[in-house]
Amino acid sequence: MSYEMFDAKKLLGDTVYEVAKERNDIVLLSTDSAPRSGFTTFIEKMPEAYYELGIMEQAAIGVGAGMAVAGKVPVWCGPAPFCTARPFEFFKVDLGYMHQNMKVIGRNCGFNYADLGPTHYGLEDYGLVRMIPDVVILAPQDASELKGAIKAMLDYVGPVYLRLSTAKLPKIFEEKPFEIGKGNLIEDGEDVTILTTGEITVNTLAAVELLKAKGVSVRVVGLPTISPIDTDIIVESAKKTGRLVTVEEHFTVGGLGTIVEEITAENCPVKVKKIGVPFTYISAGPYDDMIQYCGLDPESICNSVMEFLK
Amino acid sequence: MNKEELKQLKVTALHCRQNVLRMIKANGSGHLGPAFSCLDIVTALYFHVMDVDPKNPDKEDRDRFLLSAGHKGMAQYAALAEKGYFEKEILDTFGQFKCRIPGHPDMHKLPGIEVNTGSLGHGLNLACGMALALRQDKKKSRVFALMGDGELAEGSNWEAAAIAAQYKLDNLCVIVDANGLQISGHTKDVMSYEPITDHFAGFGWAVTEIDGNNMEEVVATFDKLPLESGKPNLIVAHDIKAKGFSELEDQVGCHYWAPDQEAMARAEKELEDAIKEVLAQ
Repeated sequence: MSYEMFDAKKLLGDTVYEVAKERNDIVLLSTDSAPRSGFTTFIEKMPEAYYELGIMEQAAIGVGAGMAVAGKVPVWCGPAPFCTARPFEFFKVDLGYMHQNMKVIGRNCGFNYADLGPTHYGLEDYGLVRMIPDVVILAPQDASELKGAIKAMLDYVGPVYLRLSTAKLPKIFEEKPFEIGKGNLIEDGEDVTILTTGEITVNTLAAVELLKAKGVSVRVVGLPTISPIDTDIIVESAKKTGRLVTVEEHFTVGGLGTIVEEITAENCPVKVKKIGVPFTYISAGPYDDMIQYCGLDPESICNSVMEFLK
Repeated sequence: MNKEELKQLKVTALHCRQNVLRMIKANGSGHLGPAFSCLDIVTALYFHVMDVDPKNPDKEDRDRFLLSAGHKGMAQYAALAEKGYFEKEILDTFGQFKCRIPGHPDMHKLPGIEVNTGSLGHGLNLACGMALALRQDKKKSRVFALMGDGELAEGSNWEAAAIAAQYKLDNLCVIVDANGLQISGHTKDVMSYEPITDHFAGFGWAVTEIDGNNMEEVVATFDKLPLESGKPNLIVAHDIKAKGFSELEDQVGCHYWAPDQEAMARAEKELEDAIKEVLAQ
């Protein structure tokens, strides 16, 4: 399948700017990161609302929370591990516990920083942030969802973490208002449900085509909100197809796979196959090689599902 | 400031210390040492320096007070109660399940609390954010943040120190409650940031040092703010931990106090005598 492709960072920066110029409360924080996150227009057009802090991630959240207390809506984007793992306790106290209206965007998530190695991978970002009560976590799957998610994030009052890659993003879905907390049925089927999140969904959908060619009837559910997760659609899927498969570019430990297991264990115990990143440090290298190593390319996903259904 | 006003401030600081004892009595224990050491400063801020209104605690142009060292929460509760932000009966709920005055302040529970603190090293960054936002909105409000000297070991403070100087936040005033003690011993032995003023001055702050238990000096210093235009303000307030209860003053063990009835009675008596003494001056 060929899709129209978009630059995710440009889409991010331009969408935030389009909303910000109509309001007087959105400010942009940078930890030496905003110009490279797609915000050049924002920086040029709204310099009074742009704050460069240098490389200091704890401070970014603390300062952002302080600005939010005073009525601002700070937006901060940087590499996923440096926005989540590094300032985790600030995220917990200043944004979660204080329930402050700041928007944190972790970019280059998953293996996007392929050649830079484990310090730069974002493989535990939403696993960590979901341990903080009351933080909304968004993982849009394509260009349309990213645009909708950014608008929904800025309208929502409260802390939000949004993960994205900097890769060229396909436009898979039609544009529509993004509903926080809602999963979507991409395709219905009988034999198995694949639950997918984030930008790896493009591989999931390619795998689904391979599975269909093998005669498998697949139900596909997209989960662009990780927290609050759409429990209903997961339970409904478990009841309908019995077996579930999760696909994510994140550790399966603490990731979507874990979330789905938590929900099904309590509500409708079924077998769950978790496809994602193994719980270890994976060496640097070309992105496609790592995706293949983790079994996240379409053929590998297809093979894992076939094995699971045996 | 005239003599009568100064006298009244001294008495109010002692009344606030009485409020702290009331909370400790209700709970059986509490951070007496840290609360007592900073109460002359906190009293001066709420009763002389800051533009705040307990009847309208969220008024837009108010000055802001943040307790970065959240374990001094009783000092803030004591001052807020004395100022009339809430009924003093609430002080008797200290330590109870779901009380509005938990061990560390919670902005969602009580008027007059601007942020949640308790984890050290957060207040300065929050204060910088507030000062930046208020300045962007052209508010005349000032932001006052009180921190401990032991707290300076948290590296996040130095991120904030750089931000405040870079952005020339002269609407920000940080007071270090430098009582020289922390849980494990003397701060200079545990991890020294002496001289504190040199560290902040190196970042580009306007700095001064005072006796933090001398009300006249405290007030005179606050009245001079900003110390220098275009620079964030640092006041290192050298004070005595547990100031106001002589048998605990400057003792390492005074950080957290769980008194028996006799000790509580001695503390109450000392404060009553001190009030009489000030009034007789």
